[in-house]
Amino acid sequence: MTALRRYPVLVALAVGALFMVLPFAVVALNAVKSPAEYSAHGPLGLPHGLYLDGVEDFWQRVDFGRKLLNSVLISGSVAVGAAVLSVLNAYAIGIGRIRGRAWVLAFFVLANTLPQEALVYPLYHLSKQAGLYDTRLGVIIVFTVIQSAFGTYLLSSVLGRFPREIIEAARIDGANRWQVLWRIVVPVSRPTIGVLLVFFFVWTWNEFLLPLVMLISNDNQTVSVALGVLQGQRLMDATMTNAAALLGVLPAIVFFLVFQRTLTRGIAAGAVK
Amino acid sequence: MLTKRRRMTAAVAAAVTGALLATACGGSDSGSSDGRTLRLWHYEGPDSAMGVAWKEAIKEFEAQHPGVRVKFEEKGFEQIQKTAPMVLNSNDAPDIMEYNKGNATAGLLSEQGLLTDLTAEATERGWDKKLSSGVKTTSRYDANGVMGSGKWYGVPNYAEYTMVFYNKDLFEKYGIAEPTTYDELVSAMDEFVAKGITPLANAGAEYMAQQYLYQLALSRADRSWVDKYELYKGKNDFHDTAWSYAANTFADWVEKGYISKKSSGTKAEDAGVSWIQGKSPILFSGSWWYGRFESEATFDWDSGLFPGSNLTLGSGGNLWVVPKGAENKELAYDFIDITMSKKIQNLLGDKGGVPVAADTSAITDARAKTLISDYNTLSDRDGLAFYPDWPVAGFYDTLVSETQKLITGSEKPDAYLDNLQKAYDKGVPRR
Repeated sequence: MTALRRYPVLVALAVGALFMVLPFAVVALNAVKSPAEYSAHGPLGLPHGLYLDGVEDFWQRVDFGRKLLNSVLISGSVAVGAAVLSVLNAYAIGIGRIRGRAWVLAFFVLANTLPQEALVYPLYHLSKQAGLYDTRLGVIIVFTVIQSAFGTYLLSSVLGRFPREIIEAARIDGANRWQVLWRIVVPVSRPTIGVLLVFFFVWTWNEFLLPLVMLISNDNQTVSVALGVLQGQRLMDATMTNAAALLGVLPAIVFFLVFQRTLTRGIAAGAVK
Repeated sequence: MLTKRRRMTAAVAAAVTGALLATACGGSDSGSSDGRTLRLWHYEGPDSAMGVAWKEAIKEFEAQHPGVRVKFEEKGFEQIQKTAPMVLNSNDAPDIMEYNKGNATAGLLSEQGLLTDLTAEATERGWDKKLSSGVKTTSRYDANGVMGSGKWYGVPNYAEYTMVFYNKDLFEKYGIAEPTTYDELVSAMDEFVAKGITPLANAGAEYMAQQYLYQLALSRADRSWVDKYELYKGKNDFHDTAWSYAANTFADWVEKGYISKKSSGTKAEDAGVSWIQGKSPILFSGSWWYGRFESEATFDWDSGLFPGSNLTLGSGGNLWVVPKGAENKELAYDFIDITMSKKIQNLLGDKGGVPVAADTSAITDARAKTLISDYNTLSDRDGLAFYPDWPVAGFYDTLVSETQKLITGSEKPDAYLDNLQKAYDKGVPRR
C-alpha cells in the first residue's frame, strides 16, 4: 500500500529533478565543445571529445582566480555580517518586543520588495561621497544591509515564538540580556541562522546589477560580473559563455553541497519541536 | 537598561564593521596622473579584428612612449552601456575608452559634458581627412547631442556595413547562378523555393528582420531621404514610396516563402548558425559576422553589396572617446593617432575588420580584399545609411515587434507603417 502510494511521488520527483538538471547538463555539454562543433551541430549535439580551451581561455582572459577570491570575500563577509545584524535586530524585535515592532517589520518587508534598480543611483552617489565607490567594502556594506532586511524579517518571526520559559529561567539564574542572547537564543536558533548564512552567501554570489555598477575596476569585480565580459554587442561566443557559466556556478554548488546538512537541519528544525 | 542595550548593539556593530574593513580594504588603485600610465578600456573580444589590431596598437604605443605603461581592462558591452555615465562622472574614469556611437549613447554623454571635445586634435592630426563623410556623422554631436554636426567627441577606427553572404556550394549544388542584380536575386530565391529551400536566413526576434526591411526601403531612397529619417532634416513620412515599397515587398517575400514564417521568433545567432550549417543559402547582415564566418564556415562562400541599391545599412564603428575627467589626455590622443596609422589599420583589415584608413593594396587575403573594396565603393558613393532604430529612443523594440507581426501575417503593411509612424512621431526630438 505504501509502495503504491510512493511511486507517483517518486516519479514526480524524478521528473522535477530532470527539469532542474537539464539546463546544467546542456551548459556542461556546450562548455566542452569547440566553437566549430557548436556551429555545425547546434547546442544539443554531442561533443566529439573534450575541448577545454574555452574554460582555460576564459580563466586567463578574466583572471578568474582573482574574481573567485573577490566573490568569496564579498559573499562571505556579507553572509556573516548580515547574519549577525539580523540576529541583533531580531532579538530586539522578536524577544525584546520593542514598541511598534509591527511597523518596523512592515518597513523591513517594504525594503525587501524595493527593486534594486531603484537603489542604483542613490547608492552610486552615496558611495562616491563616502569614498567607497569601486571598493569591495562598499558592496559588502550595501549587501549586508539588503540581506539583513530579509534576515531580520524571518528571524523576528522565528524568535517571536521562542519559548519564554527558557529565557525566564535564564533570567532567574542571573543572566543579563547580553548573556541571554549569546548563551541561550543564538545556540537554540543555530539551525535557522545556519540556513540564513547559506542563503545570504548564495544570493550575494549571484548578485549582478549592483556589483556591475559599483565595482568598476576589473581587479575588484566578482564572478557574475566577469561572466558579462563575454556578452558582445552583436555576437556571442556560445561555447565560451557556457564554459564561463559552468565555472561561475560551480563554486556555489560546492558551497551548497558542503552546507547541505545545515540546510536540511534548519528546514526540519521547526517540525521536530 | 535600554541605553545600555543600545550601547552594546553599537559596540557590536562597530566591531563587525571594523572586521569587515580589515578584510575588505584594498580599494581601487586608480587616479595616476603622473603621465606614466594610460588607462584604456574596450569591449572587443581578443580574437576579433579590433581586439588584435588594438593589442598591436598598445605595443606600438609603449614602444613610442618609453616609460609609459598601458593599463588595459577588458570590459563587457553591457557593463559599459549601463555604467558609463556613472563612471565618467567619478574619479575612476579611464583615460580613453571605446563607446557606442549614436544619439542615445555618445550623444547623450557629450550633452552631459562628460566627454572631451576632440575638434582641435581631429583637425591638427588629420583624422577628419581620413574619415569619409558617412563615417564622420557619428563622430560629431551638436549641443543637443544629435549626431551629424557640431564638435568632435569620438573617433572610429573601423566601419561596418551590411552585405549579402552567399553560400557558393549550395548555389552550385542546385545549379543556380550567384546573383549580381536585384532581378537575379529574386529569380534565384524563386528557384530555391521551388527546390524546397528557404533562401533567406532571418531573425525576427532581433535586428535582422528590420534590416531586411530598411534595406528594401533604401533601394528606393536617396541621401536626402536618409537625412530626413535619421537626422530629422524634414518630416519623415512612412507612407512614402520607399517605405510602402519596403513593407509590401517584405510581406510579399514572406508570402512567397523567401523568408520563413517561423523566423518571427528566432535570434540573430540562430540565423547565423543556420547559414554556417549550410541550411540557408543567403544571409543579409553586417560585417560583424565576417570574422566568424571566415573561421567557421566549411564551404566556399562569397559576399557582396545588396544588388540594385546605392545605399545600404552601416556607419562608422564604435568610438574612441576621451572622458572629461581623464588625467592623461595627451597620451590618449597619441593612442588614437596610432590606431589611425596605416600599420594598425591594415592589420585590422587583414583580420576581417573594415578599416577606415587602410591601404587596400596592402591587404593580402582575397575575401578581405572584397570586403574592403566593397566598403570603398560604398564610401565613395556616400552609401552608408545608418540603422533603422537610430532616430528614436526605444524604436528598436517597436521595429522588432511590428516586423514580427508582418512576418506572421497578423498585420497588413499599411497598418504596420501606421504604427511605425505613430511611434516615430512620439519619440522624435522637437527642434
